[in-house]
Amino acid sequence: MTRPAKPLPLIALLAACLVTVAACGGEKDKEGSTKACGTPEPAMKSPPNLPGNFPDAQGVVYTGLRKQGPTTVATGYINQTIGPARDAYTNAVNGASGYAVTKHEQDVADAEVNFTGAGNSGQVKLTQECRDRTNVTITIRPA
Amino acid sequence: MRPLVLFAAVCVLAGCGSSASPDHSKPLLIVVNAPFSRTPYLGQAIENGARLAAAEVNATGISIGGERYTLTIRIADSGPAPARAVANVRRAVDDRAVAIVDEGTGIDASWSVAARKSVPICVVFEGGREVVDPVRRPNVFRIAPTDHGVAFRLAEYLLPKGLKVALLHDDSDYGTAGAAELDRAFSQNRASVAIDETVPADSLDLGPQVLRARRARATALLVWGRPATISAALTAARSAGWNVPVYTPPTGADPFVRQQLADHPEWVDGLTFAGGRLTAEVGSAPFRTFEQKYESAYGIDSVGVKTRGGDAVVEPPETAMYAYDFVNLLAAAILKAASRDPAKITAALEEVTTEGANGDERAFNRHNHDGVVDDDVYFARFHDMTYAPVKDDPLSAALPTIPQTR
Repeated sequence: MTRPAKPLPLIALLAACLVTVAACGGEKDKEGSTKACGTPEPAMKSPPNLPGNFPDAQGVVYTGLRKQGPTTVATGYINQTIGPARDAYTNAVNGASGYAVTKHEQDVADAEVNFTGAGNSGQVKLTQECRDRTNVTITIRPA
Repeated sequence: MRPLVLFAAVCVLAGCGSSASPDHSKPLLIVVNAPFSRTPYLGQAIENGARLAAAEVNATGISIGGERYTLTIRIADSGPAPARAVANVRRAVDDRAVAIVDEGTGIDASWSVAARKSVPICVVFEGGREVVDPVRRPNVFRIAPTDHGVAFRLAEYLLPKGLKVALLHDDSDYGTAGAAELDRAFSQNRASVAIDETVPADSLDLGPQVLRARRARATALLVWGRPATISAALTAARSAGWNVPVYTPPTGADPFVRQQLADHPEWVDGLTFAGGRLTAEVGSAPFRTFEQKYESAYGIDSVGVKTRGGDAVVEPPETAMYAYDFVNLLAAAILKAASRDPAKITAALEEVTTEGANGDERAFNRHNHDGVVDDDVYFARFHDMTYAPVKDDPLSAALPTIPQTR
């Protein structure tokens, strides 16, 4: 049995929708980074001891720490926009003895700084949720 | 005789399987070393990805010192044997290849053969820990999820669920390397491991091993092995009426698994695999564009099964994407080095960045020769012979589903 060919205009329409949806994602990111910031999560009473003495970026405020199986995940924020926040982490990692940045990348409102050092590897994920605050998620797993 | 003469003429014109070189340009040879005879789907995917990138690069050409060059792809079948893979690399080096795109079989021996002439090798499948080491193996690069990343991400995903996990891995190189990483990933949580079993890679019946896992009161199966091992484990569990959740590395998405279970599509439902994300933060548009180019050039990668609604299932070109990305990085490195000297090209590979087929940046540096970071490993679950990112993992939940029917 032969299936009828799908009409080309429908395929073109679907492709256009896909591009539009993808573009909307970018617009949403931009919107997030321009809105006013609300009250941040409460800070931890004392800064956590991260595995391998993972370095603190200047200005980071920690709000949580949890184990996820073998991996440690720390959360927090920096009162900076995405670019300076990313720079703060690349500087902190590169400046820490035995640590190195393995890859970093930045988009409109999010960035990643991947690292290795002290027998661990992982990623600092940065997301600018509002005008002048960037959320920080640090994932540290044994290398 | 005439057909033979005609065939020979066509071969000469087409470069006997190599990308055609425009007139007045010199070839830069890239050898694709992959198990075409053992796992044809994998070999073909690597070849097609490399060819697609080479064709695009050749459309503009590479100019070095006033000379024009074109990338030429030649394939070499590594079969299942590491010795054959090493022999292929030796021949590639003798033939002055500028790079080798490699599935990874035999890399523990072949890297040093290529290193003698500083020829870069990029592994686009094997994820083992020892494969890549920027210090000890400066000519080896990789664009594929690492076993370390897959194993740790699986542990991070499964352990918080409170599951008692049966770890089954086969005795292939792939299974053994995966078992080593699973051992590390679960080492702090051994109480969550119900049983740890090695199974034969080519066994069609894993009934006894799966039964032992069931008797050990496992509430999840994590099967790390070749596609045949995964389909055998699924068959053993489901045919015994055990509806335990099954988790796998990327090989769970290999079409072979679904082909083997085509008569029991419900056995595939719920199978969850970890793999490299196909889309970036910018959305699915870059990958879909790559996929369309790939399909225009080579047709769809048919899985050979259909959904319950009768739609043909196709496989998104993931491994092809990795080969494609490496050839583009290689072209950028050749231009940066302004040389066809493999040593200079290898050095330049640590300094260039390109946009990958999924929209993410692809790059290496002196600290890191892995192009896929561990945090880009996501999880997808099968339903009706196609898969979608899971919703109970933050990264996966943020990813779109890539259409897989035509």
